Amino acid sequence: MPSLSLLEQSLITGVLTGGLYGLLALGLSMSWGLLRLVNLGHFAIALLGAYITWWLGTAYGVAPWLAGAIIVVAFFIYGVALHWVFMRFAVTEMASMLITFALAVIVESTLQFIWTADFRRYETPWGSESWIVGSLYVPKLNLMAFLVACLLAGGTWAWLRYTYVGRALRACAEDAPIAIAYGINHRRLSFILSGLCAAYAGVAGVFIALVATLAPSQIWSWVGVVFAVVIIGRLGNPVGALAGGILIGVCEALTMAVINPSWAALVSFSVLIALLLFKPRWV
Amino acid sequence: MLLEVRDIAVGYGGAPAISDVSVDVGEAEIVSVIGPNGAGKSTLINAIAGLLRWQSGAIHFGGVDLSAVAPHKVCSEGIALVPEGRRLFPGMSVEDNLDIGCYRREARRLRARGFERAYTLFPVLAERRQQLAGTLSGGQQQMVAIARALMSQPRLLLLDEPSLGLAPSIVGEMFRVIQMIQQEGMAILLVEQNVGQAMEIADRAYVLEEGHIVATGKPQVLLAQSRIREAYLGL
Ligand SMILES: Nc1ncnc2c1ncn2[C@@H]1O[C@H](COP(=O)(O)OP(=O)(O)O)[C@@H](O)[C@H]1O
Ligand SMILES: [Mg+2]
Repeated sequence: MPSLSLLEQSLITGVLTGGLYGLLALGLSMSWGLLRLVNLGHFAIALLGAYITWWLGTAYGVAPWLAGAIIVVAFFIYGVALHWVFMRFAVTEMASMLITFALAVIVESTLQFIWTADFRRYETPWGSESWIVGSLYVPKLNLMAFLVACLLAGGTWAWLRYTYVGRALRACAEDAPIAIAYGINHRRLSFILSGLCAAYAGVAGVFIALVATLAPSQIWSWVGVVFAVVIIGRLGNPVGALAGGILIGVCEALTMAVINPSWAALVSFSVLIALLLFKPRWV
Repeated sequence: MLLEVRDIAVGYGGAPAISDVSVDVGEAEIVSVIGPNGAGKSTLINAIAGLLRWQSGAIHFGGVDLSAVAPHKVCSEGIALVPEGRRLFPGMSVEDNLDIGCYRREARRLRARGFERAYTLFPVLAERRQQLAGTLSGGQQQMVAIARALMSQPRLLLLDEPSLGLAPSIVGEMFRVIQMIQQEGMAILLVEQNVGQAMEIADRAYVLEEGHIVATGKPQVLLAQSRIREAYLGL
C-alpha cells in the first residue's frame, strides 16, 4: 500500500489533470450537445494550438498569454468557417464525425510535416515552479490551467442558464423549428457557438503546451478519455464536463499510484461503463 | 383583414399537402378551421407561422407580404404559434420556456407584464415556474404553450389542436381561456378536431378536407348543413 502523502499527491495531480481534461471536453461537449455535431477535429486543433504556442514562444519569444490571445481569435474564426461548411453541406451527426476525423488526420500529418514526430517541450524559466504545501507539490501552471477550466466551465454554464442567448441555444437544441418561430436566429447563434468551441480548444492548447510534452500523435491519446468525460458530464453541460474531467483525472492518478501506471488507460472507460450500468442520479 | 392567406399550396416534396387554400382572419376575431386528421390543418398553420414555405399563392399579415420575411422574423410581425402537441422545450423550466416566448426585442421590454399576465391566466404555472416543462401534466403543458405564445405579445395567435390529448374537464377550461384572450382583442386562428367547441366559440369557420377548403361561413350556417353536421358531429 502506498504512503498517505503519495496518495495525497496523486489526488492533487489527478484533480489538476482532470481540469485539463475538462478544458478539452468543454468545446466538444457544447458542440455535440447543442449543435449535434461530433467534432473529432477538436483534439487536433487543441494540439495545433499547443504547437503554435510552443513555436511562437521558442522561435519568436512570444509570451504564452499573447499567443493565447492570437490563437483564441484565429480559432474562433476557424470555428465559424468550419460551421459554414457543415451548414453548406447539411452535415449530419454521423457525417460530422467522419469529416472531422479526416480533419484530425490532416492536422496530425501537417504537424508531423512541419515539426517532425519528435517530442517537443516548451521550456520556460517559470515552467516548473511549484507551491509547496506541507510535503505536497502543487505545480503553478497546472493549477492555473485548472482555475481557467473552472472559470470557463462556470462562465459558460451561467451564460447558458441566465442569458437570453444562452437560453436560446438550449431551446434550439431541444426544438429548433419552434425556437426559430419565436424569433431566434438559429443560424447566427450556431456560428457563434461553433466559434466559441474552437476558441475553447485553443485555450486548452495553450495550457497543453505549457504543462505537457508535445507529439503529433497525442491527438489520439485524448480521444478516449475526453469522450468518456463528455458523456459522463452529459452532452452540452459545461460544469458536468469539468466534473467528469476531475473524476476521470483522480481515478487515473489513484490507479497509477495504487495499482500500476500501465492500468491508467483502462480507467476512463471502466468509469464510464460503471456509470452507464449503475446510473447514479447525477448522471 | 389582419391575415390574408390567398390560394396557397404547401407540400413536403411530393404532391402539395394543401392547395388553393384561402383563409382570412380579422382583428379580434376567432376563426376556426376544422377537418379530419391529415386534411392539412397543421400544414396551413405552420406555413403561416413560418415553419414551412408555400410554393404558390401569398400570405399577407397586417399588409406585410410574409414571403419576404425570414422564418425567425415572422414572430416580430406579431404572429405566435401554439403548435400541435405543444412542443415545449422539455428540459427547460417553465420560466425559461416563457422567456423564449419573449425573446424578440419588442416583447423583451414587456417581459414583466407578460409574466404577470401569464400567471394571472394560469395561476398553477406560477407555483411551478422552476419545474422542468417536460415533467408537467398535459393540461399544464398546454397552458405553458399558450402562455409562451402570449409572452411574444402577438396580434394573431395560431392554435393547433389545443385540446388534443387533454382530459375533458381541462378542455372546457382551455376554450374559456381562448375566449378570454379574444375578448382582450386578440385575433385567433384555431385548428381543431374537437368540432363542437371550436364551432361554439368561432366567429367564422372553414372546413378543410384533403387539402382543400370545401366550405366556409358562420358556424351556425355550416352546422345547418346536414353533411357537415353528420361528418363532424355525428348528428
Ligand atoms: N413532415 C411531413 N412530411 C411529409 N408529409 C407530411 C408531413 N407532415 C404532414 N404531412 C402530410 O401532409 C398531409 C397533411 O398533414 P397535416 O397538415 O399534419 O394534417 P392535419 O393537421 O390536418 O392532421 C398529410 O397527408 C400528411 O401525411
Ligand atoms: Mg395537425
